[in-house]
Amino acid sequence: MSTRAEFLGRIRAEMAKTPGLFAATPSARPDRPRERLDVLRRELSERWAESLARFVREFERVGGVFHRVAEVAQVPDVIASIAAERQMRKVVSWHPAALRLDLAGPLSGRGLQVSAMPGAEVTAAERERLRAVVAAAELGVTGADLAIAETGTLVVVSGGGRPRSTSLLPACHAAVFDRDVLVESLAQSGLVLEAWHDGPESDARGAAINFITGPSRTADIELTLTRGVHGPKEVHAVFVENGLAGGSRG
Amino acid sequence: MSDGDLATPFRERATRALGDRFLQEALTIATTKFITLRQEAFGDYPEGEALRDRARAIKEATLQHLDEHLERLIDNVERRGGHVHYASTAEDARRIVLDIARQSGARLAVKSKSMATEEIHLNEALQAAGVTPIETDLGEYIIQLAHERPSHIIAPAIHKTKGQVAELFARELKRETRPDPEMLTRIAREELREKFLQADLGITGANFAVAETGTVVLVTNEGNGRMATSLPRVHVAVMGVEKVVPSMTDLAVFLAILAKSATGQKLSVYTSLVDGPRRGGELEGPDEFHLVLLDNGRIKQIAGTLREALYCLRCGACLNVCPVYRQIGGHAYGYTYPGPIGILLTAMLEGPASVKDLAHASSLCGACADACPVRIDIPRMLIELRKDVADKRIAPWSERLVFGAFGWLLRHPRLYRLGAPLARLLQRPFTRGGRIQRLPLFFGSWTRTRDLPPVAARTFQERWAELERSR
Repeated sequence: MSTRAEFLGRIRAEMAKTPGLFAATPSARPDRPRERLDVLRRELSERWAESLARFVREFERVGGVFHRVAEVAQVPDVIASIAAERQMRKVVSWHPAALRLDLAGPLSGRGLQVSAMPGAEVTAAERERLRAVVAAAELGVTGADLAIAETGTLVVVSGGGRPRSTSLLPACHAAVFDRDVLVESLAQSGLVLEAWHDGPESDARGAAINFITGPSRTADIELTLTRGVHGPKEVHAVFVENGLAGGSRG
Repeated sequence: MSDGDLATPFRERATRALGDRFLQEALTIATTKFITLRQEAFGDYPEGEALRDRARAIKEATLQHLDEHLERLIDNVERRGGHVHYASTAEDARRIVLDIARQSGARLAVKSKSMATEEIHLNEALQAAGVTPIETDLGEYIIQLAHERPSHIIAPAIHKTKGQVAELFARELKRETRPDPEMLTRIAREELREKFLQADLGITGANFAVAETGTVVLVTNEGNGRMATSLPRVHVAVMGVEKVVPSMTDLAVFLAILAKSATGQKLSVYTSLVDGPRRGGELEGPDEFHLVLLDNGRIKQIAGTLREALYCLRCGACLNVCPVYRQIGGHAYGYTYPGPIGILLTAMLEGPASVKDLAHASSLCGACADACPVRIDIPRMLIELRKDVADKRIAPWSERLVFGAFGWLLRHPRLYRLGAPLARLLQRPFTRGGRIQRLPLFFGSWTRTRDLPPVAARTFQERWAELERSR
């Protein structure tokens, strides 16, 4: 086993033997990614409808189910009907503050068991209990921190009130989002990732960023496409036309 | 360490594969499908060609400052509370992972598909140390149950039928089922879900690691990468040093071409960016995060003939288009990495002697270089390997004798000219229908697998001399 110094030393020794290589540079990184992202967001807000149309096309291509509502108040109805059609009763969701939406209230009267995840640190025992709750849930409801039109991708960032498992363990995942998180391309998502990692990171942000492009799938047995291997079998995207309330715009 | 199968020579392994009718059919269907999907994906993506050049340049640029990028990666991983380990050899890497397992008291490890941990033969070591490793990629799970090795980088179980998988599940899991991929997948989901929830240790590879941010990136379609990095208490990622990329902007370039090259998807279902261990306020995520940086022959190639092979993204595109891989499949190669790039990686990890036969398992047609998302010039390096094998006297003496004599003859034009009539005389008893299909003695090792074109009735030089005279 070697130490950092030995290991890097061997790399440097080999590098020294390779003079005269052709000129190559990595990608130019944005100078002030947060500011650049603000500018981009403003530009994108002019053409969000095109981005959305492309997102829907690509999202459906990868097997996602798209829903569109005008007002945030209509979201619980969509969730309720997704659950009802599949005879699902156990729903877990991000914390209302993270989701920017309260589901438990409107849904509890409709025969659904809704468990919202805690917004702050909990004890180890409580974490264990919650894991069992999520593992038994049939439908997980999250927000989305980014929606990429080019690929039909929803991006979720973990953190307080927004556990990783909500979009992973239940057989069905629904993500609620609005125009503010739409970007056009993977290249633009690169800028977003630069911005998220730029400067002091907020304590609220967790350690996992997941790009989700449709339901979990495999073709490992005779190349037959099968959905829902480990992650959800179904992914729904619920678009709120007039925006989610209290949104951290950008 | 090598596969038990290596006891049989490559020629026999290949012959056996050629005689396996099911394997032949499965290979044709799979590789043809992957080729079509890849072509369609890039066909719809005009900017793809320029991005491939960009990706290649990023890989080269990263190698030119590998020390700096790795230092930045290490600093950032540690800043986020992760631990970094340095493994010069496969044995080092195994010992590091075993130590982590021991210290955390782990009994059960879930693994997300990773070629690096295949390469270091981690599973056997874990097993021997009392830690049960469970492969969770469906294809890997199947071959682990069958005690086999992956036969394709991205579709490890393409050599198995659904009937065989159903029998395997009945025998190993005591679960009776019809040979239906849907049902088989559901069984695997149930079995593995339990393991994910129980496991203490999550072991993954890394498709990329971003130096600027200390982020490990995993790409999967099934979600097992997310499971392994979210549920167990401890996460260990084992990664070759060449997987580091400078920034998130660079990462976006690779993401745009990786899945298209591998499966024809615009993006794989899950791209997971892991910024170290669980943070305050998070409900899940590992308490401990370890990154194992693996050398195992890579560092020596920074200045070696196989440098360009360090660009490899492990997408498998070169396997699908290779006329040799398409005929013999992954197992016949005998090592962890099959196909054209696999020959180079095997030489890198195991030394040139290991590829004395494999270096010739290529028609040098160049399809691999065309398909490679970062345009690795695989044929050039295969030729260099052949030269290396000859120079280092690893090739059989008969081969070196024949080619040595031929080379000498080529350097002596007068003798070469005299040789033509002599060769015509000698070849007469062996020529049938304008081809030489069987030669005696050690010359036979050429004609065993291919014809030898006979020396023409009139050679080019003889014709040329005639033309000169008749002017």
